Amino acid sequence: MVRAPLASRWVWLLGGISVLVLLLGYSWISHGQQLENPNDTTIPSLAAMLDGLQRAALDEDWLWVDTKATGYRLGVGLLISVVGSVLIGVLMSSLSALEALLLPPLTLAAKVVPTAALAVFFALVGTGTELYITMIVFGISPALTLSIYLAAKAIPVELIDKAYTLGASHMEVIWGVVFPAVVPQIIDAIRLAVGPAMVYLIAAELYLGDEGYGYRIRLLSRRLEMDVVYPYIMLLAGFGFGIDVLLTGLRKQLCPWYVEG
Amino acid sequence: MLPLSLRIRGLHHQYDENKVLHDVNIDIVRGEIVGLVGPSGCGKSTLLKSILGTLTPTSGAVETFEPGSSDGQRVTGPGRDRGIVYQRYALFPNLTALDNVAIGPKLDETSYPFRVFNFPAWRKLRAQHRERSAALLKKVGLGDALDKYPHELSGGMQQRVAIAQALVMKPAILLLDEPFGALDEATREGLQGMLLSLYEDNCAARRAGEAPPYTILIVTHELNEAIYVGDRVIGLSQYWDWSGDGFDGPPGATVIYDRAAPVYRPNAPKEYEQFMAQREQIRGAVFEPKVSPKRGQHVDFWEAVAAEPHGIFACDV
Amino acid sequence: MTIRSTALFALALVACDGGDAPSSTPATDAKPAAEKPKVTPVFSLAWSEYPSWSTFGVAHELGLIHKKKGEMGEIEKKWGVDIELKEADYDTCISMYGSGQVDAAALTNMDSLPIAVTKTTVGILPTSTSFGADALITTKSVTELAQLKGKPVRGLESSVSQYTFERNLELAGLDAKEFTFTNADPGAAAMAMQQKQDGFEAIVVWNPFVMATLNKRDDVHVLADSKAIPGEIIDMVVMSQSSLDKPGADAFAHAVIDTFYTISDRIENEKTRDETLIKLGEKFAKLDVESMKTIVDQTKFYKTPEEALALFGSDELKKVMDTVVAFEMGHGMLKAKPEIGYGKKGGAPTAAFRFDGSYIEAVKSKK
Repeated sequence: MVRAPLASRWVWLLGGISVLVLLLGYSWISHGQQLENPNDTTIPSLAAMLDGLQRAALDEDWLWVDTKATGYRLGVGLLISVVGSVLIGVLMSSLSALEALLLPPLTLAAKVVPTAALAVFFALVGTGTELYITMIVFGISPALTLSIYLAAKAIPVELIDKAYTLGASHMEVIWGVVFPAVVPQIIDAIRLAVGPAMVYLIAAELYLGDEGYGYRIRLLSRRLEMDVVYPYIMLLAGFGFGIDVLLTGLRKQLCPWYVEG
Repeated sequence: MLPLSLRIRGLHHQYDENKVLHDVNIDIVRGEIVGLVGPSGCGKSTLLKSILGTLTPTSGAVETFEPGSSDGQRVTGPGRDRGIVYQRYALFPNLTALDNVAIGPKLDETSYPFRVFNFPAWRKLRAQHRERSAALLKKVGLGDALDKYPHELSGGMQQRVAIAQALVMKPAILLLDEPFGALDEATREGLQGMLLSLYEDNCAARRAGEAPPYTILIVTHELNEAIYVGDRVIGLSQYWDWSGDGFDGPPGATVIYDRAAPVYRPNAPKEYEQFMAQREQIRGAVFEPKVSPKRGQHVDFWEAVAAEPHGIFACDV
Repeated sequence: MTIRSTALFALALVACDGGDAPSSTPATDAKPAAEKPKVTPVFSLAWSEYPSWSTFGVAHELGLIHKKKGEMGEIEKKWGVDIELKEADYDTCISMYGSGQVDAAALTNMDSLPIAVTKTTVGILPTSTSFGADALITTKSVTELAQLKGKPVRGLESSVSQYTFERNLELAGLDAKEFTFTNADPGAAAMAMQQKQDGFEAIVVWNPFVMATLNKRDDVHVLADSKAIPGEIIDMVVMSQSSLDKPGADAFAHAVIDTFYTISDRIENEKTRDETLIKLGEKFAKLDVESMKTIVDQTKFYKTPEEALALFGSDELKKVMDTVVAFEMGHGMLKAKPEIGYGKKGGAPTAAFRFDGSYIEAVKSKK
């Protein structure tokens, strides 16, 4: 029967089995590659990857240097994007003139592929930390702003009229009524933007970095040291996942009233 | 003449070439509950928006009156003197019932700088707001649901909160736009009873020589509801005889019916025969396209109430 | 059964008949059933835009090798091998070769060593050596290498760029530790210098970025380059031992070598030089004939089999490889010290990287 519910222990079990199958499948491919060429490092075994991680974390200081560099860039980029997008998105939904002014450029900007425009940013802001932050901000802000704008616009006009009848000023309607009501959508939009932000950051680091995950991955890939590269990639995925969990938790804390869907 | 809460004079409205409202004139006295009925397309929502201030009529004026003042304030936009309860999207989803009611005083009486920089004073004021709101919520029957969020409340409970939310502002008039249309019969009756109990408070205030606190205009589809809840029914309709008045085409809807309706005590049984006759009268005059009464034919509220005081007019007797 | 075989026969007739020239009749088209098609071995070569490697792109344009599998150009047919040409950027070629996705790749000797440690690699053909193609470009105010101490010098880390820089330092008697070589993609570094961005007053890049930068800015010059180290950075075609063990590998190696010399001859030949250079230029950063002539000088082609064999058999090569290995070990680019072999497999069975001129010999004698 379609959508028949499943007992939670089965949900966990099946999920666990599929992850296990992935790990085993990879190990099998890796093993096969090792048989063909025992020195091959392009598909390292799980144990080799653990060694690689150890090397990056303990023998060298790669992991710490890279995490600090990439983490800082991602953090600042996200912060600027979020603050800017919330401000503009909420205001756009409330002020028709601003909406008419900004909607066309934002819609176009949201379609520009930042990785293709990397050369443009590079010419405008150089190659320092500003470049990475610009990539992130330009890459995610248009779409993020539009998401917030649409969510705020979806607030029924009845609530806005009502707020005026309750004595609200214009600012209070925007920030005291509209904004609090869309906080859950804002958080969800941020969650969706973290992935692309990481993509743009790593792409820029691959090309121009002298430290950071993207830089290290490119450098070590040239040397075919996949026993470090793959763990790095998995760490990146892990961070992305971690940020997602944090944001979901934040949403649950700040918006106990929110019902999904 | 008893003090007014709302005055509409010479209201006309047309959307481009489409004439919707023609020369609407209504006076509402403080403490009345007026039921506004009319067929679809008669411009009820246009009229409501004009009163609310979210629409500027082509011509005419809407004025409200604060208690004790005979100077009318022209309506130019939504304001705290006119409360509104909609059929849906009644409450702010991110606030509890109590906060939904308390947000009115908060928005009206304080500002951001005050709340941020004078936090101790704000805290005290906020406690007072909350007390007031809790009392009002109890009055509308929701004393136990203060900390619930709207999604945790039933439709009927949400509408009660919405009414409290509007009433806490002590508006000159409370507008209800088909407020019970989405609710089931039993819930509807409970809410109608609640409105009638508010009317009782009006009468009690009049008798004590004070201004009646609740003036209500309820727009409804249900004729029964209008007659039951209201002490006066106004019918707006485009089906009236405008020939011979020099119009090229349909001039729009206007007030075709304005008469007193019986006053019921809450929980008193509805005597259907009593208002069957009035129902038929209203239906024939207002809703029937084939019947086109002359403009003044059913509009005699003021004459009738002058001859025989009724409802709120009769309270100090 | 009769119905089935009749139907099959009818189908076969229709298949034979479809799209044939009007003059042929079904009778003449019926094939004898016993003929088996010959299996042509398929090999792949990955190359990136570079003067001596773009020759493979030109090979496709001239019809010598058809870059797709299943289509055969002149030289493929001559040697009986189907070659697939895959163009990609340099780093991608490295990973394609390293992961076994291609049999051979156009790489430098430097970049082949890290791979050779885990995947026995054979250099079958030297295509060129950097003779000015890798350069340190600085603003004209910098006249001596020593002036760069402590200043950022930008170029691709652990690559021929860094090698060129540090070898030049060595030759000038300077210690590489006193200089800061900071990673940057050569294309990006060149663009940054052209835009006069901060921190890009000294870059080490390769062609076409060298030429482009010198053309775009009047106030920069080449301070040091690979002219000081001729024959140390060797551009080659390398092949994995495992691919060499496959049937038809010899034919593949011969075809690749034959192609290279064919085009090299065309560049040398007065009559075909300009045309070939134009085609080469199109496959290499779209440079014009005059620029291509300069480029071809800076990327000294090993134009003939004789030159290539001389290189492979020389003592200088052994010294060069020692220097290269020392550089790479010093920079942690190699997991272990690779053994370098010279000659056929039998002569150096355990070598991780082998220079083997026997394939060039074979092509030379066939010419």
